[in-house]
Amino acid sequence: MSTRRLAPIHLVLGLVIWSGWFVLLYGGLSVACEFAPPDTSQGARTWVNFLMIALAILLTGVLLYVSYRCSQWGLGSVPDPPGSPRAFIRKMALSVYLISAAGAFALAIPVMVLPPCV
Amino acid sequence: MSSASDQSNHERERQLAGVWDNLPGWGTLVAVNHTSVGLRFMATGMLFFLVGGLLAMLIRTQLALPEQTIVEAGLYSQLFTMHGTVMMFLFAIPVLEGAAMYLIPKMIGTRDLVFPRLSALGYYCYVFGGLIVLSSLVLEIAPDSGWFMYTPLSSSDYSPGPGSDFWLLGITFVEISAISAGIELVVSILRTRAPGMSLNKMPIFCWYILAMALMIVFGFPPLILGSILLELERAAGMVFFDTTGGGDPLLWQHLFWLFGHPEVYIIFLPAAGIVSTLIPVFARRPLVGYHWIVLAIITMGFVSFGLWVHHMFTVGIPHLAQAFFSIASMLVAVPTAIQIFAWLATLWQGRVVFGLPMLWIVGFLVVFVCGGLTGVMLALVPFNWQVHDTHFVVAHLHYVLVGGMLFPLVAGFYYWLPHVSGRMPSYRRGRWGFWLFFGGFNLTFLLMHLTGLLGMPRRVYTYEAGLGWDWLNLLSSVGSFVMAIGVAVIIIDIFLHFRFGEKASQNPWGADTLEWAIPMPVNSYNFSSMPEVSGRHPLWDTPRLPERISKGEFGLAHANNGRREIYLSDAITGKVTALIHLPTNSWLPMLTAGALAVVCLALLLKIYLAALVAAAVALMVVLRWGWENGGHPKISTVGEDNPDDPPVHSRTLDGPGLWGMNVTLMSNGTLYVSLIFGWFYLWTAAPQWATPDKAPVSISLLTGSGLLLTVAVGIYHKAVSRLREGNDSGLNQHLWVAAGVAGLHWAMLILAIVNSGLQPRALAHDAVITVALVYLAVHSGLAIVMTALQAVRAGMGYVGKALPYEPVVVRPFWIYTLGVFWLTVAAFFLIPLAWSVP
Repeated sequence: MSTRRLAPIHLVLGLVIWSGWFVLLYGGLSVACEFAPPDTSQGARTWVNFLMIALAILLTGVLLYVSYRCSQWGLGSVPDPPGSPRAFIRKMALSVYLISAAGAFALAIPVMVLPPCV
Repeated sequence: MSSASDQSNHERERQLAGVWDNLPGWGTLVAVNHTSVGLRFMATGMLFFLVGGLLAMLIRTQLALPEQTIVEAGLYSQLFTMHGTVMMFLFAIPVLEGAAMYLIPKMIGTRDLVFPRLSALGYYCYVFGGLIVLSSLVLEIAPDSGWFMYTPLSSSDYSPGPGSDFWLLGITFVEISAISAGIELVVSILRTRAPGMSLNKMPIFCWYILAMALMIVFGFPPLILGSILLELERAAGMVFFDTTGGGDPLLWQHLFWLFGHPEVYIIFLPAAGIVSTLIPVFARRPLVGYHWIVLAIITMGFVSFGLWVHHMFTVGIPHLAQAFFSIASMLVAVPTAIQIFAWLATLWQGRVVFGLPMLWIVGFLVVFVCGGLTGVMLALVPFNWQVHDTHFVVAHLHYVLVGGMLFPLVAGFYYWLPHVSGRMPSYRRGRWGFWLFFGGFNLTFLLMHLTGLLGMPRRVYTYEAGLGWDWLNLLSSVGSFVMAIGVAVIIIDIFLHFRFGEKASQNPWGADTLEWAIPMPVNSYNFSSMPEVSGRHPLWDTPRLPERISKGEFGLAHANNGRREIYLSDAITGKVTALIHLPTNSWLPMLTAGALAVVCLALLLKIYLAALVAAAVALMVVLRWGWENGGHPKISTVGEDNPDDPPVHSRTLDGPGLWGMNVTLMSNGTLYVSLIFGWFYLWTAAPQWATPDKAPVSISLLTGSGLLLTVAVGIYHKAVSRLREGNDSGLNQHLWVAAGVAGLHWAMLILAIVNSGLQPRALAHDAVITVALVYLAVHSGLAIVMTALQAVRAGMGYVGKALPYEPVVVRPFWIYTLGVFWLTVAAFFLIPLAWSVP
């Protein structure tokens, strides 16, 4: 377990990653549909959908793992005292990564049922 | 003894007032202190609110009965366009910014915002821009394409008059004000908090304003870019939104709503901040779930940027893409619900004292929850298709905006009124205003949901009788007049309170935040000495704090050196790191805004030479402004410091200017990213996208120019690194060399532009590249001017190892300029080149 301080960027990093994921989903879908649209008869079973679902699972896993790491952060020999700004940042960062993980997965739910380019 | 101490205290406060007070008479126009500027923002915003309300009354009068011709179709279009424009751009945002500018320094325990002249510039840009927009209405040439100015309706083919130009130029001008306030608030909240006010002890209102300010910084640039592009299309014939040249009108919608949806939250967040501040005070207990609310604020700030396409569900976007935005639209309800539950829990666990502000808070909870529920309905794509462009949407947005913003705002007005007047509002009189407004509002807009469900489209100036809309419209109009009477009663009540209101005692509501430690009516320097805090509720934790502050027991109790001083503190811990010497009253902000107003008017009148001259004047005034800054003797003199005080900010490497520059570049970067988005959007989605047969710009010239820029940035970077290490030998020579090499780069870039075969009036492809290249040239030019100035100042001793502040501030601008240069080369030239290679 690390005794290093958690940088304040972690207060927002999870949601920055979520935003990037959102842009990638929307932008990537537009580019895929423009340059390599799958056959509409395939419904939701296309390479675009599979790729997006795989990425969603991967990203959700990464964010959950980072969230877990945050929960362990600063619990070394000299833990941050409760009520200290560093303890606050750790607690908030943990929650932000959790929310981002949930949000990243939630965005991919319609990918399981909707065709990409219709 | 006590009398002697009182006298010395009085003398000390007189000294502080002498330093911080506005100039008398006309001199008050040059005030830069946050109390004056914040109050002016709010007062001006209220005047614009009355204008917007008057326009709404005309709209409701026209719609009260079917087939009326009180207002003709053309004028009606101007009325609804101006109503939305005035309420959104000239009332809602500025008035909330004004409230934030007024309250934030007082809540975080300091004396002013960190860039006071920027506050004043923002105010004058707002006033001048607002007057320019409103003047179009008086001249009967107001914009008439709706407040979101969709192309092609707002393009020159369908709106040939100057109405759209008034909107595009005037609103862009007003947005300068919003962004300057955003930058100022972010840096102030992060870097000027009272000693001991760490991030987790910050009043909840400050979290809301921090989120709002950052959202302004990131949210407004897409609209500024869109407005510039549309004005270039209208005035210069460049192609961006016209399909025949490879443009796409949907690009405007994307750029507009990239701003427009976060805008709803930019308005809601500060209002929710008022609610989160007032509820604990009236519930007599701390807010339940502080951490949860901070989490909700951060989440809302991000998720609200992922909703913009839900305004565009009917434009033909693939279902899956719509579903992403539908999901995000539903997700944003979660942080909103967290806040509502936290408020309810606080009320539930508290011992609620029911004052007049609470009446408006309860009104907010009822109205806003209804608006939120219809918002979730509209997030569902099939339902959205059904009610798109009907009065249902109008009803929903008024429930959200009036419920989510106006109700808390009025609650806040009543709550903080004693601060300004020293008198208490009257519950007896005030409740009349509330009930008239609340009743009238619901009568107007609740029924409008039904009118919309029955199929009445928005923006029609009249309708046939017998469609089932008659009685609903009549009652809506009656309700709107009741609401207007409510507004009149509130205004009368507030005026009467200044004369007849009961004198307010210190901290009359029993609040916990620092603004109530200030004597009432408020003075110009806020705190007689700078308070130190140890908890989230300073006045509940230390009831004697106001007295101790007033006795001068804390820091900066004297103003012996005649300078406006505040503390610079660490962004996380709130520990003091330096002293900031703030500039005092100045004509420069007003002159800058005046010159920019002339630019705006000259562009409207198409006198381009005058616009160019006025822009040059504005630049000169800004340079003059920048001259008395940083290490200039008027701001900071070497060898004058009190050894007990922290160092003056100009002697540090982490002053407020660096933070201001970084936040400005974030905003600037958003504008650039929006341009890149536009480029790729047109490339992939424009129905008639076309590229020229051969590359219109010489890649070798661009590469050469870029290499020179890289060398210039390297020299500058090296000079600053040496300065940071305490070595200033040859500093001004290095800076001159950096400016000279950058000058060569700039000349080569201009050569590349002038010698290019770009056809911006024929092809959207070339038009976007032209804008990108001009953007680069402007940035390089500014970097050169700033560096040359630094070199001169280094020669004069304003910059050096004892005063290293300024070159450190300019460095991020250089790095940014270099970054966008190579990104432009890659995105606009190399990627398309690689794509076209078989």
